[in-house]
Amino acid sequence: MPADSYAVAIPVGESSRSRRAEHGSGNQNPTSYSNMRGSLAAQGNRIDDTSLIREAQQGNRAAFEVLVRHYDQSVLRLALHLTGSESDAQDVYQEAFLKAYKNLGSFRFECSFYTWIYRIVTNLCLDHLRKRNVRKEDAPVAVDASGEEYSRLEQFADVRSGANPERDLMRRELGRKIGVALSVLTPRERMVFELKHYHGLKLRTVGEMLNTTEETAKNALFRATQKLRAALAEMR
Amino acid sequence: MKCDWVRQNILFYVYNELEDDARYEVEQHLARCPECATELNATRKFHATLSEMPVVEPTPNLLTASRMRLQEALETAQPGGFWHRLILEPGVWLRQIRMAPALAAAIFIVGFGGGIGATYNFLSAHGGYGVATGSLESGSGNQPQSVNLAQPLESSAIAGIRSVTQEPGSNQVSIKYDTVLTQEAQGSLNDQRIQQLLLFAARNNYNSGVRMDSVDVLTQSPDDSRVREALMYALQNDTNPGVRLKALDGLSGFVRQDARVRDEVLRALISDTNSGVRLQALRLVEPMKTDSNVRSVLIKLSQTDENVSIRSQARTMLAQMPEMD
Repeated sequence: MPADSYAVAIPVGESSRSRRAEHGSGNQNPTSYSNMRGSLAAQGNRIDDTSLIREAQQGNRAAFEVLVRHYDQSVLRLALHLTGSESDAQDVYQEAFLKAYKNLGSFRFECSFYTWIYRIVTNLCLDHLRKRNVRKEDAPVAVDASGEEYSRLEQFADVRSGANPERDLMRRELGRKIGVALSVLTPRERMVFELKHYHGLKLRTVGEMLNTTEETAKNALFRATQKLRAALAEMR
Repeated sequence: MKCDWVRQNILFYVYNELEDDARYEVEQHLARCPECATELNATRKFHATLSEMPVVEPTPNLLTASRMRLQEALETAQPGGFWHRLILEPGVWLRQIRMAPALAAAIFIVGFGGGIGATYNFLSAHGGYGVATGSLESGSGNQPQSVNLAQPLESSAIAGIRSVTQEPGSNQVSIKYDTVLTQEAQGSLNDQRIQQLLLFAARNNYNSGVRMDSVDVLTQSPDDSRVREALMYALQNDTNPGVRLKALDGLSGFVRQDARVRDEVLRALISDTNSGVRLQALRLVEPMKTDSNVRSVLIKLSQTDENVSIRSQARTMLAQMPEMD
């Protein structure tokens, strides 16, 4: 059933379970979820995700798309920084939200939607890291969307070109070193470090997302930093 | 040694993960201890170095392209729904097993084939389910048998493990456990027993999915004051906002006719902690905005609700009504 003809079950009396005889008291008409979306966006407000999730669970694709917009930029940012590649990031994004859509029925509001979606994303990222580790013998060179070869590690380099070429060179070099150092971490250590250091999440949240405890996340962070410090020292 | 403890925590201090009291202690120590202060500097330097690989914002092109690709894929995808909730989620089950070694042992034992003797005493049954206790001893064989996980005990069938005893020097284990006998009732919505179970489920089940399903079914029931009461109870007391929303759905038909329902919806409108629930309650009372009770609630809402959208919608509704006083 195409989303735009689905009767949105916003209970202003349009619900089939309602026993009210009349209604039409001038409320939003049931199919114009986009109107609601528009006016709320104009007010700069967000409907509580709860209603959106419920709508989406009942099959309202438009509601799901609005829900996605609340989170997708930060999901993409995470995937991009972790994978170092635009096309890999897009793949993670796609898989994550499709998986969310398919499993929405099993979301029972027992944690926040944010945690739930991030759990999906981090698991996909872990899979990605594991696959990448398996192919470690491959040179870290890949082909991007336009067919150009690029070094994955250079993605990490801060390529802002400024007035100081010397400093740019050093920055790029440092970025490359960091990329190498990060590759010595196990996928879980990498994930914990990524979420904590680069995205500022609390370790308790990181634990929830990885389906483990805060203590485990703390230990992973500790091990990760030990390894990173050792790796960086060696490269000096 | 204080330095050891501080060293272990310097990393978490730098990442702002310490509780206030621990953070205070670390700061106090660092002020007095030069070695630890050196370590702090090294850690900070490490933190700064790693931050030289900044998190780049995805380009608008990338974001748009990703969204479009997702939209295309959604056209053909099917949302998972109702059935998923009913199927026993193996992940949840496995996690329960992992955290209860005695439980795992009990299931392990049950998997063994013949030679299992069990005695059951049935105690009095209450409200549709019985409780049985039994004792179980493992079979005679010492050879490892494959654990028959295809037929595990439903974790919800085990009410508790009373004791686990292993005979020393052997792999004979004896486990006493209580079971819950699960029964099934089938019938129409008019069936009294069905209604009784539904009302029970709506209030008592620890599983919010089951509560939601039962509230869902209850909303289809014909006019019944007990059903209405159960829905109002759920609206007022259920901890899960999804369940409260479903209850609100079911009550929507009665808001006009029944003053108690109207008052309950008004109460939810003011005091529910979830703004999604409040928003829906607001929509439900909208047709009655000329009512003086409703009006006074709307006035209060327009001033004090913490959600901007709710405040402004309340104001809009008030503006649409002529002054009655």
